[in-house]
Amino acid sequence: MPIEIPKDKWPGSIKTVTIGATAAEGGTRAKTITIGGQNTMPFMHFENPISNTPVIALEIKSRKPEDWSALLAEVWGDAMDDPARWAKMAEDSGADLIVLALTLEDEPADAVAATKAVLEASGLPLIVWGPGQSDIDNELLVAVAEATKGERLVLGLCEDSNYRTIVATAMANDHLVIARTPMDVNLAKQLNILITDMGLPAERILMDPTTGALGYGIEYGYSVMERLRLAALQGDGMTQLPMIVTPGFETWKTKEAKVNEGVPAEWGDWLSRSIHWETLTAVSLLESGADIVVLRHPESVSRIKDAISELMMV
Amino acid sequence: MYIIGENIHILSDKVKEALKERNAEFFKSSAIKQVEMGAKCVDLNLGPRKKDWDEVFPWIVKNVESAVDVPLCIDTTNVNGMEAALKNITKAQPILNSTSAEPERLEAIPLLAKQYGAKLIALTMGSSGIPIAADERVAIALETLIPRMMEIDYGMENLIIDPLVLTVSGCQEYCPHLIEAVRTLQYAWDPAPLISVGLSNVSNAVPNEKRPLINRVYLALLMGVGLNMMIADPLDTVQNQVIQWIEEKDTSTPLAQLYNKIAERTEASEEVQSEDFDMADPDQVAIWKTTQILYNKVIYADGYLEQ
Repeated sequence: MPIEIPKDKWPGSIKTVTIGATAAEGGTRAKTITIGGQNTMPFMHFENPISNTPVIALEIKSRKPEDWSALLAEVWGDAMDDPARWAKMAEDSGADLIVLALTLEDEPADAVAATKAVLEASGLPLIVWGPGQSDIDNELLVAVAEATKGERLVLGLCEDSNYRTIVATAMANDHLVIARTPMDVNLAKQLNILITDMGLPAERILMDPTTGALGYGIEYGYSVMERLRLAALQGDGMTQLPMIVTPGFETWKTKEAKVNEGVPAEWGDWLSRSIHWETLTAVSLLESGADIVVLRHPESVSRIKDAISELMMV
Repeated sequence: MYIIGENIHILSDKVKEALKERNAEFFKSSAIKQVEMGAKCVDLNLGPRKKDWDEVFPWIVKNVESAVDVPLCIDTTNVNGMEAALKNITKAQPILNSTSAEPERLEAIPLLAKQYGAKLIALTMGSSGIPIAADERVAIALETLIPRMMEIDYGMENLIIDPLVLTVSGCQEYCPHLIEAVRTLQYAWDPAPLISVGLSNVSNAVPNEKRPLINRVYLALLMGVGLNMMIADPLDTVQNQVIQWIEEKDTSTPLAQLYNKIAERTEASEEVQSEDFDMADPDQVAIWKTTQILYNKVIYADGYLEQ
């Protein structure tokens, strides 16, 4: 007996967002990245063709981070001292995008120099995060946005307590923004409303609904993303933005990944465990609708790349 | 609509202050004002009063009873406080607010209601919390609350079931289920049990200026499934107007017509449709958007009306 697979008809779709600008488009990127556009739940190819593939970003920092796991320090080596070399290495390990995270020690001139060096070293589209303290974020991101006008960078993070300055500079300098909210569908939607109210088109906003690593609240993050995606497909315009999440950041702060002291022998090989932790977290989030996963370990990048190509096979 | 006036509530700063000063006049005049505006009963929620219940509960009952003749609704989790209040009632049959299906509460409170001849509000909430699905809430009433009343031979006409309104801001998936729970509970027993809800809970954690519209639209949806008792603010004149429009099937103005349409559609187990609304009228657009968040079709955000 033939079995008919039930299909949902979705009235809504995710907005298509392009990151980066080539020389022809007023920037310097070797290529651009386009995400979004789906009108089905993740990888439901039988329902509707999936227009854009989810992509992988690798996170680097403007200065060598002292609090990252020794495993990350080992794999990136001396490149961690130089954002340009680090970015090139990230590109060579298969990333589609670079995330440059600025630090509290950076002055605006340092932030601009690091950003320009990264843009010089790698042709990939670039996301730039402030260090996460409102006044310093604003100061650094405005300087970076102005110095890179037209590159269509993604600036982050906009939060409900601090978004106006970042949105204004993104509007003035042809960039995009990330809107981050703490695992709450209502707040996620509200921040999108506030940002679009300022006049930034929704096609220039990514939302980061925040997640947790495997074993550290991933199920809450998963549910929030799933709910946002379902609402978007049902036609709720202010939830139809592509999602970016940070499984690398979340994973590498867990005790299972970060350190290997005083852990039971049954936990097995440290490196192998950590890579599994990062990839399982990332794959789960892809299944709940992530359009960009930000990772930290190059080995995870190649595994997630494989996973994505398998999931995209029709 | 039988309104249990909710304005004597310890979460209000004015009430807190008045209680601290034992300002009897404040409570008397609040009760009088609520009754004048249509409250059929006055809720007294002064919290559990763990330390001074034996003084506060008799004090508030005596003072409010000296001002109004309507029943009082003793709203506390403190069982000793409940009894202290009940002992001092001299006028109308009081309402005890409330028991839940949690075993320790269900053991003691119905007995107290029976002993003092009080009506009893019973929440469809068990030890594992408030279920989302309408049928699970009805099941708590059928399998736990009602059997306990039968067991102690409590007059079923005195039982009021409260299927629990939760806020659209954070518990949005509960909102449509509550409507169905109210619909179904009326068939849970013969004669149909009384059903009451705390209406304004639907807009908890919503910015103040947005609350009345959400309350009103939810009220129309609930009146559509037969709600005729609630704990609410009797001083909300616009809300009172909506009640009157629906009760009297008054369709003399476009808004009156619309609120009736919302109730009728809900009664017929239908959702309102965009063609029911005049989208050129911003008030009607706001009501339309509010129905969509209450159906859990569009995600609630504080700025949902501006979207």
